[in-house]
Amino acid sequence: MRLRIGTLAILGVAAVTAIVIGAMAGLIVRAHRAALVAQLTRSADQLSETVAGSTYVDMLENRREAVHREITTIGRQRGIDKVRLFNATGEITYSSDEAEIGHALDTHAEACDACHAAGRPLVKLSMKQRARIFRAADGHRVLGMIRPIHNERSCWAAACHAHSRDDTVLGVLDVHLSLTDADAMIARDQRSLALLALLAIAASSLLLWWLSGRLILRPVASLIAGTRQVAQGDLNTTIPATARHELGDLARAFNEMTRRLADAQRQLHQADKLASVGRLAAGVAHEINNPLTGVLTYASFLEKRLADQPEVRADLEVIVRETKRCREIVRGLLDFARQTPPRRQPTDANDVVRRSVAIVMNQLTLARVALDFDLANDLEPVPADANQLQQVVVNLLINAADALGGEGGDGGTIHVRTRRADVAPRGHAVVRHAACPRGCDLLDPGTRIAGHASIRVLRRAGDREVVVHLDPVYGRVRHRAGQPCDAGVVAAYHCPSCRASLVTPDRRCPDCAAPAYAVHVKGRGTVEWCARKGCAWTRWEAMDAAGTQPYAELVVEDTGRGIASEDLDHLFEPFFSTKGPRGSGLGLAITWGILEGHGGTIDVDSEVGRGTRFTVQLPYRVPEPADTPALVRVRMPDAAPATAATAPGAA
Amino acid sequence: MTIHAVDVLVIDDEPVVRDAVRLVLGHEGFVVEAAADAAAGLAHPALAECRMLLCDLMLPGAGGFEVLRRVRLLRPDVPVVMITGYATDANAERAMLEGATAFLAKPFDDVELLNLVRQVLARTDAHGEDVTP
Repeated sequence: MRLRIGTLAILGVAAVTAIVIGAMAGLIVRAHRAALVAQLTRSADQLSETVAGSTYVDMLENRREAVHREITTIGRQRGIDKVRLFNATGEITYSSDEAEIGHALDTHAEACDACHAAGRPLVKLSMKQRARIFRAADGHRVLGMIRPIHNERSCWAAACHAHSRDDTVLGVLDVHLSLTDADAMIARDQRSLALLALLAIAASSLLLWWLSGRLILRPVASLIAGTRQVAQGDLNTTIPATARHELGDLARAFNEMTRRLADAQRQLHQADKLASVGRLAAGVAHEINNPLTGVLTYASFLEKRLADQPEVRADLEVIVRETKRCREIVRGLLDFARQTPPRRQPTDANDVVRRSVAIVMNQLTLARVALDFDLANDLEPVPADANQLQQVVVNLLINAADALGGEGGDGGTIHVRTRRADVAPRGHAVVRHAACPRGCDLLDPGTRIAGHASIRVLRRAGDREVVVHLDPVYGRVRHRAGQPCDAGVVAAYHCPSCRASLVTPDRRCPDCAAPAYAVHVKGRGTVEWCARKGCAWTRWEAMDAAGTQPYAELVVEDTGRGIASEDLDHLFEPFFSTKGPRGSGLGLAITWGILEGHGGTIDVDSEVGRGTRFTVQLPYRVPEPADTPALVRVRMPDAAPATAATAPGAA
Repeated sequence: MTIHAVDVLVIDDEPVVRDAVRLVLGHEGFVVEAAADAAAGLAHPALAECRMLLCDLMLPGAGGFEVLRRVRLLRPDVPVVMITGYATDANAERAMLEGATAFLAKPFDDVELLNLVRQVLARTDAHGEDVTP
């Protein structure tokens, strides 16, 4: 049988209370009974003195009738069972119970035992020794009190000469008091004490039941429910953690554990997605490259043999060119999966746009999509990988065409613009490394804000701790928190790993004078934010000092259906697609990877029903190598004389 | 001067790749023999007399690396070019370490294939062998 903590506690406390109260009640009843008996003993003693005193004169004058009358009268009083008088030989000479007059008592009988136990009569006895309690024939208890009547001058000198001068004790007065009333009182006391004890046990059990339910059972029950939910995979579970005692600490620890599990799972999930991209890319590469070899070899072979037929030859050229593009796409996919850095060469972005448009022109014509160009004539070549950049543009054009309705759609217009943009760091520069003062990595690729890995910090306001994902784009404050925080609250910020404080002691927010907190960016100083909720102040001195940077900007804008705001954050994740079964979910992920590799950015603005604008910016000043992933491109061994044939793009 | 009845033995499980190699090299006068898997390739009579091998890395059965190892035991001097549809630096490095002469990534076109074969054979010619078909 399964027992609950509360039941066990209540049973235990009830048992302890019963033992304690029972023992106390027993002691009280015993003391009460002793006091009553002592009081009755004194009454019996006084009664025997009274009897002795009132019969004294009649005894001296030997008025036997008067003595008998007095004893009988007293013996009939309420509470008095019997009054009797023995002579020295044990014969009952007077008694309120006339039937026993003249009978002799054995000195070893109960009433006589006090004096005669030692074999001879004693002269002086204490009051307690003279009293005895016994049961009468009908079962009720009786207090007996004896009083020896000592010989004195008036006795032996009296006219009757009944007693000689040598006698010590002339007789014994024996008074019997009924204990019926006293016993009834004691029984009543016992009953009320038992009732009180039961009430005390019930009250303490009730109190304990309420306390254990409120303090233990309810928090434990929610903890158990939370654990079950987590076991079933629901990692968004939180349990109430308001208690200020250990169970509250346990609940808070549970919530923190669950949150970290959820974070870890998200990161694993992301890593798993990327690993899947890698496996998929490898599989696709292997499977598709065999048929591509056939197409490419036969087409290029035919192209050379049919030199005399220019029309056919032109068609074959298209086949060869497009097959080579397929080859580049497959390589791009592999490159994305392997995060290969681009091979930068001065590239005319306008030229890339024109080539990309030529590639997708057929598709755009079918979809009745119009193109509108605004290409800057004075755009300087930007250091970029032309093939990768072409992939980006083709991808954006195809996405735009899809957003305009796809093939057979009503059409619309895609605007393509290029220009040189001098971009201020604010609102643009991205934090790509973030560390706490002790060096813990704070960048969280598992939670992205508009595509960029967020900065994970711990916010503490009062006794509430919440993980906050800071927007890594400098000057933009699209932070995300698990729980909202009231505007105006100044919170403390910590590293979620080592709990080191991120608050800068020597700097305060110049706007509202609240404390500021900061993270370290490798080689680029610190980024600071105001700790007051609602204050948007932030500063990245190293970036501000570097000033505006020149970028080649490419905008692809459509008047299509737009993207829902909840999808915008996931747009660049692998396998995320808004196109349903038509989309692989890889296009924008590859685009993102290519632009990351270039140290560039891609931004998206979209309004459902109005259209979408992608803005690509490629830096003219290439970031230092520390900023790009340190991965090596496929490298051909020098020993082979035929490496030229194997290097991508050598054909 | 050695007379070879076969110039190139190609081992690839993809018929289209075997046919393409045969077509391109055959048109230039090379004698090409082909095998579809590792066992067939190693048992092929042309293995003993061909001037070079083209061998896929991902072969059914023993696999390209095993073929390369066995060929190196039988004919240590014959040039072996590994071809693959999954070109990674790890695969390329391993092939070169295990004694491959060169590495060709799929998909290739006729010019790339011809250039590679000519260069490989020219190098063996420099070591005293016949280069012309």
